[in-house]
Amino acid sequence: MIDFAKFKLENGLRVIVNEDNSTPMVALNILYDVGSRDEDPRTTGMAHILEHLMFSGTDNLPEFDKHLQLAGAENNAFTNNDITSYYITLPSDNIETGLCLESDRMNDIDLSQRNLDIQKSVVTEEFNQRYLNQPYGDVMLLLRPLAYKVHPYRWPAIGMDISHIRYAERSVVKDFYNSYYTPDNAILSLSGRISAGKAYKLANKWFSHIQKQKKYKRSLPAEPVQCEERKLVHRKDVPSDAMYKAWHIGSRISPDFYTLDLITDILSGGESGRLYTKLVKGKKLFSDLNAYITSDIDPGLLIFQGKLMKGVDFEAAEEALSRIIDDLKEKYVQAPEMEKVKNKFESSNIFSRTSILNKAHELAYFELLGIPEQINNEINLYRNITRNMIMESAQKYFHHGNCNTIYYKSTR
Amino acid sequence: MYYKPAIPVLKQADLKTLPKVLSEHLSNNIPVNLIKSGTEDIVRIEFYFRAGNLAEDIPLIASTTNMMLSEGTENYTSTQLNRKLDFYGVFYNLFVEKDLAGIVLYCMNKYLEKTLELAYELLFRPTFPLSELKSLMKKRLNWFLINRDKVQNLAIDQFFQSVFGKDHPYGRQIVSDDFRTLTPETLKNFHSRYYSVDNMAVIVSGRMNDNTLHHLDKYFGRIRPSKTRPAVTSSFIRGDEKKCVHVNKEGTVQTAIRIGSSTINKRHPDYTGLKILDMIIGGYFGSRLMKNLREEKGYTYGIRSLVTSLDLTGYKIISTEVGNKNIRKAIDEIYKELTHLQEYSVGREELTIVRNYMMGEILRMFDGPFATAETYRSIWQFGLDESYFHRLADKIKTITPDEITDLAKTYYIIEDLYEITAGAG
Repeated sequence: MIDFAKFKLENGLRVIVNEDNSTPMVALNILYDVGSRDEDPRTTGMAHILEHLMFSGTDNLPEFDKHLQLAGAENNAFTNNDITSYYITLPSDNIETGLCLESDRMNDIDLSQRNLDIQKSVVTEEFNQRYLNQPYGDVMLLLRPLAYKVHPYRWPAIGMDISHIRYAERSVVKDFYNSYYTPDNAILSLSGRISAGKAYKLANKWFSHIQKQKKYKRSLPAEPVQCEERKLVHRKDVPSDAMYKAWHIGSRISPDFYTLDLITDILSGGESGRLYTKLVKGKKLFSDLNAYITSDIDPGLLIFQGKLMKGVDFEAAEEALSRIIDDLKEKYVQAPEMEKVKNKFESSNIFSRTSILNKAHELAYFELLGIPEQINNEINLYRNITRNMIMESAQKYFHHGNCNTIYYKSTR
Repeated sequence: MYYKPAIPVLKQADLKTLPKVLSEHLSNNIPVNLIKSGTEDIVRIEFYFRAGNLAEDIPLIASTTNMMLSEGTENYTSTQLNRKLDFYGVFYNLFVEKDLAGIVLYCMNKYLEKTLELAYELLFRPTFPLSELKSLMKKRLNWFLINRDKVQNLAIDQFFQSVFGKDHPYGRQIVSDDFRTLTPETLKNFHSRYYSVDNMAVIVSGRMNDNTLHHLDKYFGRIRPSKTRPAVTSSFIRGDEKKCVHVNKEGTVQTAIRIGSSTINKRHPDYTGLKILDMIIGGYFGSRLMKNLREEKGYTYGIRSLVTSLDLTGYKIISTEVGNKNIRKAIDEIYKELTHLQEYSVGREELTIVRNYMMGEILRMFDGPFATAETYRSIWQFGLDESYFHRLADKIKTITPDEITDLAKTYYIIEDLYEITAGAG
């Protein structure tokens, strides 16, 4: 159970607080309701490079990190397709330092050409390190545009192409900041040694002066329903063959979200999951094989990814995989297996709540989704899933027309 | 409205009292440390053995023995075992490090007894079935080949070989053939020698009641000491003569750089000071290397330095990945920063930043029962006690710029450092 209080400042900033006095620390999270899905297809990667630039300091406080380090804080940020999230954990005595700095960079930033140029190089190296310099690292650069033809999920948060970063203009980044980094497009969440009363006082002290601005209205093109199976064969110098399959599913708040999550737990939750016991251990077709849902806010994907054992051909592996999927469509999941994945979900839910940073992230995220109460109801939602619901969802989503497949072939 | 925020007055975090530990023994003398705290009804149980790489007389035997623990026991097949553990909502990690190996289990208290029963099966009644061994080794060979495609792995493997020597278990590199030599008998032999009651310890952390120790004793307190003893391993470490090694890998866009050497470990009085110097060099986002190579020059996404303790020695390492055209420039900047620390005093502001940041880090190391358990284990394994953290905190508060310069001169002699690169550059 995460007890929380929430309130809203006049400028629209939403604040959500969980008091936890078992720690001397506080975790502070500012979530901006902007991600790579909000980018112009001609200038992708802006949300992410802006996140880098948010650490460059302002005229008021030129060295962002220095002040936090002096406060004994640890901080970082991430950008994904939906959100940009900044987070700090620090001794509760110094909470105002964190609030002061976040307020300052929400108010304005100093976006110099020099800093932009340096961060272009840094992000290029990040792109190289994550996507180009790892075996199979580029697969999401292939799978996204295969599955999405219209919706901006067709590019990853780092950008569609590294040239978008190379040619990023200062004015475009600044416009992006001006449009999205506004108080009513942000959520401040706090977890740790801080009371709701104190949080209210401090949020007002540090954020109420920031001017309310017109809220950006999001209107993204919906991805048309996929009707035909899509396949891509990609040849590359990698150690072994790999296979990826992605099915379109609903949005984060669609009613079958937890059912699909449970399906992936049945398939690949731990070493007793069906994929591992049947295809990795049993038939020895894969050296590893996983299934997961992307948990995107807009309609996302359910993805299978596996590395094939030497000498196994794609068709045989795919055939075995579809037999596992057919089982879900044709046979009820037995009670002990249901109980197992439900217990495991409950336990992972409890464990995730031992970290104040995790709690701060979850609170901000559920507030963004507009369902903060659900944070304490997830276990029930999951417990209430029936074998019928599983069969129906499997039948609804796992069909050929809805599937995108990549054969990632080793040329060695 | 114009508003100019001012940074509020800061308080330096302080280490007041450390979380309490209850030190006990099971009936057969296995040491158990209990850390009682936490808000949720869950516990973390760690069993560790001196069964890491250092104990290896054959390549891969430590990791394979460890991974095979969950591949079948006297009473359960691996699938049955995993199905049960998943049913009780248990998360577990089998681990192998340079010195230690073991398992960490996380469970809800309502399933503590069940979890301990399964942990006992897995740790003390594994059967090492041949078919499971064969399929594990095939999978591992696949993973190994994939890992050898990453420049980071090529570089770190070569680094350990250069620093600790190609024949020492700390430095030995794995080759494909190593995945074909192990048999169930060699694993059983290794297991009986190293997974024994006189070679292990237990740490329990989280919420617990008076029964926790009782349950532990029920499953683990009656095991008798093994008749076979751990072999005395050769402990002679000799680094390679050659300081610069390049591992070629065609077609990569970045090259991995690893610079460092063996050094003192936690038992040495200079170690706490060295940790502070390491922080200044590359231990945090505001470090010299991060500021120079990332935030000023944009050569890399990240660069970090690390000082780590091993049982027989320690090592320091600077790690980064850079675009091929910047390799030499990046390496030169790294040496320039090290030389600078030997020649010029650290300024007052920078030292205050590092002091405050490190004190905050100590607080985070003890934030919650699980973090506390990991933190304590990292000193207990060297036979040290909690006073280490008081010494560290004192050193953070009192170290002088001159001491830091001296440490840089003593421990970062450029000619002694190994310089490993891996990639196309």
